[in-house]
Amino acid sequence: MQSGIILALAGFCFATLVFAATPSSSTLNPVNGSSATWAGSGIAGATTDETTCVDGTDCDVYTVTLTGSPANYKGLVLAISISHQVSLNDYDLYVHKGGLTGPVIASSTNGIPETSEAVVIDPTVSGTGVYTVHVVDSNVAPGDPYSGVAAITTPPADSPAHGTAPTYANYQSPPGLGDSSGEPSIGANFNSGRIMTQAVFDTLQVTFNTNTSPATATWLLKDGPNTNITTLDPILFTDSHTGRTIVSQLFGTTSLSAFTDNDGETYTVSQGGGIASGVDHETVGGGPFRLCTADQLLVTPVPCAQLAVRGPLSQYPHAVYYASQDIGDAEMALSQDGGLTYEEAHPMYTLVDCGGLHGHIKVSSSGIVYVPNKSCGSTQGLIVSMDNGLTFAVQPVTGSTPNSSDPSIGIGSKGRVYFGYVAGDGHPHITVSDDQGRSWHNDLDVGVPFSIRNTVFPEVVAGDNDRASFFFLGTPSAGAGTGADTGPAPFDGVWHGYIATTYNGGRTWFTVDATPSDPVQLGVICTQGTTCPNGTRNLLDFNDITVDKVGRVFTAYTDGCITAACIAKGNNPTASHTRLDNDQATKATIIRQSTGLGLFKSQDSTRLQP
Amino acid sequence: MRRAVLPAILLLSAAPLAAARQTVSQILGLRLGMSYDQAHSRLKEIGQFKSEDEGQQVWILSHDQRYQYAIVGFDRSRHVRYITVLARPEGRPVSYSDVGDLANATRSGGPGNLRYTWKAHDEIGGFEYFVIAKGKNLRYLDRFAVKRLEVENETEDRDLEAHP
Repeated sequence: MQSGIILALAGFCFATLVFAATPSSSTLNPVNGSSATWAGSGIAGATTDETTCVDGTDCDVYTVTLTGSPANYKGLVLAISISHQVSLNDYDLYVHKGGLTGPVIASSTNGIPETSEAVVIDPTVSGTGVYTVHVVDSNVAPGDPYSGVAAITTPPADSPAHGTAPTYANYQSPPGLGDSSGEPSIGANFNSGRIMTQAVFDTLQVTFNTNTSPATATWLLKDGPNTNITTLDPILFTDSHTGRTIVSQLFGTTSLSAFTDNDGETYTVSQGGGIASGVDHETVGGGPFRLCTADQLLVTPVPCAQLAVRGPLSQYPHAVYYASQDIGDAEMALSQDGGLTYEEAHPMYTLVDCGGLHGHIKVSSSGIVYVPNKSCGSTQGLIVSMDNGLTFAVQPVTGSTPNSSDPSIGIGSKGRVYFGYVAGDGHPHITVSDDQGRSWHNDLDVGVPFSIRNTVFPEVVAGDNDRASFFFLGTPSAGAGTGADTGPAPFDGVWHGYIATTYNGGRTWFTVDATPSDPVQLGVICTQGTTCPNGTRNLLDFNDITVDKVGRVFTAYTDGCITAACIAKGNNPTASHTRLDNDQATKATIIRQSTGLGLFKSQDSTRLQP
Repeated sequence: MRRAVLPAILLLSAAPLAAARQTVSQILGLRLGMSYDQAHSRLKEIGQFKSEDEGQQVWILSHDQRYQYAIVGFDRSRHVRYITVLARPEGRPVSYSDVGDLANATRSGGPGNLRYTWKAHDEIGGFEYFVIAKGKNLRYLDRFAVKRLEVENETEDRDLEAHP
């Protein structure tokens, strides 16, 4: 029955084809200048992403067929673009190889006030044959039809990331707060403007005073009533739009959890989680429920009604999910009342599919639930639920290789998934999917500008569909930087926190050393869990990243090197940089973006100030 | 749903159900608390190693008509901490009542996501253990697991700290 829901919902776009474009198709030849045009239907509508459109109602289909063989297109590309007149309207462009169920190999999802979308496809890589152009009304009022052009042309010149790279400032928690701060989480409350962070026992409310420049930070301890007693795994999740922060501590076969709607001033103790025997690596996340749009409801009322059963049961409008490794599998439970109670957990996957430990839950604007995993067979993986956590699919992240750090994802406002991970060779990579993990593109090593050879704790956040930031700890030192440090000589390396940011959908990235004068750790950062020897795992398992209402990026990390002596060694290239030189500290620290463009284009006119 | 329901019922009726109920801390000859070497010796008899993740091993079962995979977790002292078996699709179905006395089990979830859980005591090893049987089907399980309780330094105690 559940699989029926998924198939029916997927069929919104893929089965009920109404070819409203005029003409509906064209054939292009491997000749520079071969081209075709078409006119959109002019239908109006609004969607959250491609998965929520109904063809013939709020999206169009146009088919391009390339003749010949891929080799015939050497030195040529397929350029597809659409344009419209009214800058208050927003169309998006997706190109699938084959039919609409084929992979999305290119997309353009600019927002208002842009009046055009364009993609370039290399047929020598993607092949010839059928390409399906899907034009989606993101937010289109009546009376503004688009026009489309598909042409064989010469490739545009490569363009590196242009513009100015962001800058960042570090804010260390005051003495006595955040002193034991392994594996921190961070969230931004869009309503209050405050930042919430938690690591081990301390839940901290952080307010930045922007009346001064650089801004100053006020840190206040705001522990939950039941989350400062014992911990196996601490987690904090803030739903930025509702302002609710959930704090949780893994506690044997359950978790101790509470939530606050006022940044920790008061809490409500909750059930904790929905897993009878959840044992490790808990994560909490949330966002919109996956519910049908009015157009979808008209087309497929039965599966929509089945989805609605897993919709909100209280005044709280968003879904909350709790997941953890269990006995031989990993499970997720839905809360339909804002994290107060949870259903019986549903299996996401077993250890036959992927490693038991997983990264953190993220939810798209259309309610698709994602959990990344560092090892699903020969690649990293993405677990996907299209029905509010009822059933799950494991999507391999093609092109990736497994590693020991949990990957992380950021989801753009229109559903683009940015998957940040540590490759098998220790390099920091990020790759992009526009079809819920079914295919991946633009897999890049963003550590190249700093020759990063060892990486841990990849953390990703996205804003607009084309904008994302990727935080990781890295070192240019080669060798076993994430092992148990049992070799004849201890690992020598200086770790810094780096943030890579894209403003063009992952095609290019600015990578910045966000801790340039203050190393995060000297020596090894062991990522082998409880088998790590003492003195190698002070940072525990992860860091975190978030974005505030204006698009400013914040990260939370644990600083293992905080004394003047340790910092001086880290800044001296000829000094020793092993774990014996490190402080083994666990100090809560936040990186705050100072300047540059944020992750929301709508805020670009107000430049970020330090 | 399952094609082999009738033959399975016949087979089940011939099985010594009472005996099965008494031996849930042992699955396919694997026992909770068994040493790593002993467990590996048994696992090699019944299957092939597939993968390992943080002290948890997946084995493909070669000949068992009921279960396709065994997942075995080891504690820090390299003794069996938990055993999970996954039902073989289209294999001989195992009903929940085959693996224990459900009268004392907690039933939770429902159609599509049913589970029975209970605690038991291993008389030989002298320890408590947790039993979980779950599946989508209301009668037949998809997964069956036993997990030793109160094991020191088990894998999940990864970040254990107590407030001073």
